[in-house]
Amino acid sequence: MTSFRLNGHEVSVDVADDTPLLWVIRDEIGLTGTKFGCGIGMCGACTVHVGGRATRSCITPVSAIQGADITTIEGLDPAGAHPVQEAWKDLQVPQCGYCQSGQIMQAASLLKDYPAPTDEDIDAVMAGSLCRCMTYIRIRDAIKKAASATRGEPSNG
Amino acid sequence: MGKLGRMQASPDRLSRRGFLMTAVGAGVMFGFPAARAAQQFPAAGLPGDGAFEPTIWCAIAPDGAISVNIIRAEMGQHIGTALARIIADEMDADWSRVKINYVDTDPKWGLMVTGGSWSVWMTWDVFRQAGAAARVALTEAGAHLLGVRPDQCTTRDGAVVAGAKSITFGDIVSRGRPSRSFTPDEMAKLPLKPAAERRLIGNGDLKALDIPAKTDGTAIYGIDAKIEGMVYARPKMPPTRYGAKIRSVDDSAARTVKGYLRHIEIDDPSGTVQGWVVAIATSYTAAIRAADLLKVDWTPGETAHIAEKDVLDHGRAQIGRKDGGVYVFNDDGVDAAFTAAASTIEREYTCASVMHYQLEPTNALAFEKDGIFEIHAGNQWQTLILPTLAKALGRPEDRIVLRTYLLGGGFGRRLNGDYMVPAALASKALGGKPVKLILTRSDDMQFDSFRSPSVQRVRVAFDKTQAITAMDYQAAAGWPTQVMASAFMSKGVDGKPYDQFAIAGGDHWYDVGAFRVRALSNDLANRTFRPGWLRSVSPGWTSWGVESVWDEIAHLHGKDAVQFRLDHLTGKGRNAGQAPDSVGGALRQAAVVRRAAEKAGWGQPLPKDTGLGIATTSGQERGMPTWIACCALVHVDRATGIVHCRKLTIVVDAGTIVDPDGARAQTEGAALWGLSMALFEGSEIVDGLPRDRNLDTYTPLRIADVPEMDIEFVASTEKPTGLGEPGTTPIAPAIGNAIFNAVGVRMRHLPVRPSDVLRALTRHDDAEST
Amino acid sequence: MIGRIVAAVAGIGVAGGLGFLAYAWHPAIAPIAPPASTAFSAASVEHGRVLAAGGYCAECHTRRDGHEGAPLAGDYLMATPFGAIYSSNITPDPETGIGRWSQAAFVRAMRQGVSRDGSNLFPAFPFDHFTHMTDGDIADVYAFLMTRPPVHSVKRENTVPFPLNVRLLQAGWKLLFLHPGAYRPDPAHDAQWNRGAYLAEGLSHCGACHTPRNAMGAEKAGAAYDGAPVDNWIAPPLNGTNPTPVVWTEDEFFQYLRYGVAPLHGSAAGPMSPVIHGGLSEMPESDVRAIAVYLASLDQATGRQGGDAARLAAAMRTSARDLTGPQTDPDARLYAGACAACHANTGATPVLGRPELALNNALWLSEPTNLYQVVLRGINAGEGQDGVSMPSFYHALTDADLARLAAYLRRTRTTLPPWTDLEHKAASVRATLPAPPVAASH
Repeated sequence: MTSFRLNGHEVSVDVADDTPLLWVIRDEIGLTGTKFGCGIGMCGACTVHVGGRATRSCITPVSAIQGADITTIEGLDPAGAHPVQEAWKDLQVPQCGYCQSGQIMQAASLLKDYPAPTDEDIDAVMAGSLCRCMTYIRIRDAIKKAASATRGEPSNG
Repeated sequence: MGKLGRMQASPDRLSRRGFLMTAVGAGVMFGFPAARAAQQFPAAGLPGDGAFEPTIWCAIAPDGAISVNIIRAEMGQHIGTALARIIADEMDADWSRVKINYVDTDPKWGLMVTGGSWSVWMTWDVFRQAGAAARVALTEAGAHLLGVRPDQCTTRDGAVVAGAKSITFGDIVSRGRPSRSFTPDEMAKLPLKPAAERRLIGNGDLKALDIPAKTDGTAIYGIDAKIEGMVYARPKMPPTRYGAKIRSVDDSAARTVKGYLRHIEIDDPSGTVQGWVVAIATSYTAAIRAADLLKVDWTPGETAHIAEKDVLDHGRAQIGRKDGGVYVFNDDGVDAAFTAAASTIEREYTCASVMHYQLEPTNALAFEKDGIFEIHAGNQWQTLILPTLAKALGRPEDRIVLRTYLLGGGFGRRLNGDYMVPAALASKALGGKPVKLILTRSDDMQFDSFRSPSVQRVRVAFDKTQAITAMDYQAAAGWPTQVMASAFMSKGVDGKPYDQFAIAGGDHWYDVGAFRVRALSNDLANRTFRPGWLRSVSPGWTSWGVESVWDEIAHLHGKDAVQFRLDHLTGKGRNAGQAPDSVGGALRQAAVVRRAAEKAGWGQPLPKDTGLGIATTSGQERGMPTWIACCALVHVDRATGIVHCRKLTIVVDAGTIVDPDGARAQTEGAALWGLSMALFEGSEIVDGLPRDRNLDTYTPLRIADVPEMDIEFVASTEKPTGLGEPGTTPIAPAIGNAIFNAVGVRMRHLPVRPSDVLRALTRHDDAEST
Repeated sequence: MIGRIVAAVAGIGVAGGLGFLAYAWHPAIAPIAPPASTAFSAASVEHGRVLAAGGYCAECHTRRDGHEGAPLAGDYLMATPFGAIYSSNITPDPETGIGRWSQAAFVRAMRQGVSRDGSNLFPAFPFDHFTHMTDGDIADVYAFLMTRPPVHSVKRENTVPFPLNVRLLQAGWKLLFLHPGAYRPDPAHDAQWNRGAYLAEGLSHCGACHTPRNAMGAEKAGAAYDGAPVDNWIAPPLNGTNPTPVVWTEDEFFQYLRYGVAPLHGSAAGPMSPVIHGGLSEMPESDVRAIAVYLASLDQATGRQGGDAARLAAAMRTSARDLTGPQTDPDARLYAGACAACHANTGATPVLGRPELALNNALWLSEPTNLYQVVLRGINAGEGQDGVSMPSFYHALTDADLARLAAYLRRTRTTLPPWTDLEHKAASVRATLPAPPVAASH
């Protein structure tokens, strides 16, 4: 039995210790916003926050997050209106959308570390988030827009 | 209450079945009453009782809500929004009341396919007519209610207006109960809005209706579909795509996995999957573990030792033989022109296998309910896979329904619905019990119907004045359409069927005198793997040959590469174009070439080892050209051979642009696919299978690889053509041509690897020094 | 999990004459009736609890293989080159534990490595460190242990073969390597330093892992804190030979020992995690600070610190290397795809929670052991930095992938010569994991 907090809810699951967190979230708990992409931690579609830090859930055993705080895309903001989510909608970032939960979770985490990210910051931190529709131009712009909004600056686009 | 609560509270954000399929787990976990989670909600797009349906394409509810039936798959192109605005614009609907209904398979919808960059082009006339029908019917009924004649009325923003009086569409439906329907002939004669009066088509301020749910985790993809009592399946992949025979299965180790139920040897009458064993378990993780532990002994198929080079060599040999192949063009005088030529050139271009790597691995949920087999999945070509499923399951097509979910990437992978077949057969083996089959990534890549490696040979004949007198273009590759949809193939000038998606682009719009285009089906490719349609299909690789050779000729004869193209894009003869799909012909291609060169600063001096290269295509097919030109600015590091693409300048003429922001998004993504296939990805066949199984070795473009991009659309009111793929087509040759202009070496194989550039540079330097 | 002081195990006995026998032989100390828990003051028990944590008693006296044993009930498996040794039950169970041990017997065990019945204990039990504790502290640990719930648990039989299993012979080892007696403060240093030295040398027995051992399994004289292999990891040097670019200062040690993460060095992982979490974290902050002061002096931090700013800047310049702009090097792309999202730093100093590999021991040690261990195992939320985790790349990366990654990082993030035989070493480290930490999903 592993216990942790998921989007603020106390959760206990009775699965094998080596079960990937991704499948616990998707199949045991039923929140499907977190996606399965590569299964080796290299596409970023499964990114959730563990203790506030972006983490690849597909290769994280559930036993590793005993007692931790997990946030998924469904819990990023109660109204789905986190500045990153708002910027994503404003700039019409998603195409197929499958990677975007992970992109958004990674971007939200990026802004905590680098509140005014440069292109270099974005390249480095978003390097692990693959978008096969190649929405990268808009991802980059939306991160900067969200950063401006978070800092309370007027957006210049 | 959070996001889950909102999901409950606003079910209209999900399709009804999507909601039903997914709410169960979350509801139970977080204490929502099960009854509530399972409650039936009206689907987003479905009109309630009393709706007026002037055609099968839309319905107007008494409350004014308008639902538009979309038969295309939503896979990133926001196609529902684009198509809905065509119908809504023509009927003068209030856009805020428009909803999309993604439909299940039904014969009434006709051909259900989402590919070829066809959706807008195919739907344009149908939806404008359907919109006009709705407008006419509502106007007639509204005039009656207002007590005026129809010709005294106009329509605007969801209302019929006559002077100071007006009535909303909803009120017309609720009070007037309109019931008018239209015959096809009547539809065809309906008056359509002139372009100047359009408010939604071409409006850049409208947002895509599918996007909000893709930012908060509520969007439901095929992999998210769930149903009570379902079991999970994962295949144990056989050693070859075809022909593997199971000798024995030992599941003694798999039986130690908690949750493992059994294995099934898939016996597929349709031959879609051969030698498959699937592990069935109560959870997907258990199915993965069990499949890993299943010991299956196979006799592999005959292609177990085929390598990429074998396939390419086979294609070369086919091109070298006189027999075989199909002639797309075979003008009189080609051979005579070569015999009489003052000079000729012959070049070969090759392209490696390319994997789809659509981010959502292929998957399907199948079960039988009330005598109907339901298959829930993301899919691009329902009409194609239905007969295959019927054959596999041994039941008529009308006893099978496909329910299409959002696609976590299509790119052509899901035109081929082969992954549904083992799911359906596993369910059948379990008496119709719901089976969710998911391929892991390595399964998915091994099973991919990837883009075939290809060989192109181009020969060009010149007279004494260096004028082109003939071109002989031949290409050999695996033929996806022959393998999967042979009835869909085109006919050559010799009457034989050929795969237009394995040659298109070779049949370019340049004036070349006598022109021969010969398409060859690489049967070794077809036997070794299932060739796939991959974003931009053949124009994504034929352009590598056509546009590279065009530059090679220009350089050989000391011509400017842009001017040389313009000189041969004259719009004469077969290149004149025809209404309504290719009005203007090659002259429109010349226009985008001219504009792209101008924007990119063609002809201006550049720093050392930096080059600008141009390429142009007509997009996907001659029948619906999207004219596109690209200038690529690259720098080549002579020490390492690394090619750095710094900027892509792209100009597109796709006729009327229905969704400007979506068009830009599609072109951005498509162009980056082109860049990815030019410099970053590419696989190879090893022992009959694709070498790469995941991102540790397969390396598609990532965010840091993105160059500066400048994309412009030509303002046009011509019929819209396609936008999902054309952006891919000119990129690789533009880069290849830019490399030549930067450092003087000609690359003839895709992808371009630093080691190849380095080798070419070394040879080049040796040649220069001798 | 420190129990792998293993190498120490079974120092080869030294045979001698009667004099040796006289030295080696110890009488049994008479059993006592198990004392009532009321026999100990609450303050003593509480202090003993903290000390027991700081000495990691439970780490080596709780079974982990097969199933999780009761705390302190022993039977912890120490796989040694000489055979398996199973630790003793130190709960106050009268039959199978230490319920009949008097305080004197307990003190003798801690100071001299002699069991109540007079037999010599294997030096897998670090009495060569505990001997330096004060009587008062040992008495408090005794009070704590004797007030735990007794657990009836018989440990498995050791498999150390004859003659190594002749406990009498262990006396020879002691003759050579044991320096009994409580720690004597060094007047050249202040009270804080001496407190740190007392804890590090005694109770917390840092050298047991961080000092290499000789052929007889004893800590090498003259090589204190030079770093050593321990349980398929490398315990890095704690002295001036530590190779990381930025020196371990008192503050870095303190952050690391207190919170599991040193801003300029990275997270605790592997056997070091429990030393901090559930170990030193239970000790008063002043004690952890004192250990940090002591280790920083061992490390000669003050003298070596001069170039830190420049070395930090140099390391930070390499952090985002190959991450901006297009990349065609497959190894750089592997790093970008698998690691950079969490490890790339673009500022002047690392962000807390973004362990900077260019500063980390894992890249600067003589072997890639720790890098491989961390990448294969990951780090649990309860280890390293509290509440955050690193995934396990056990199934994600092949040995060839690990080798590419290790070579690339060593090449681009350090100034040291390349590691060799990387793929083979990856396989070797992988083989030391008892089971894959996470099930495969690919």
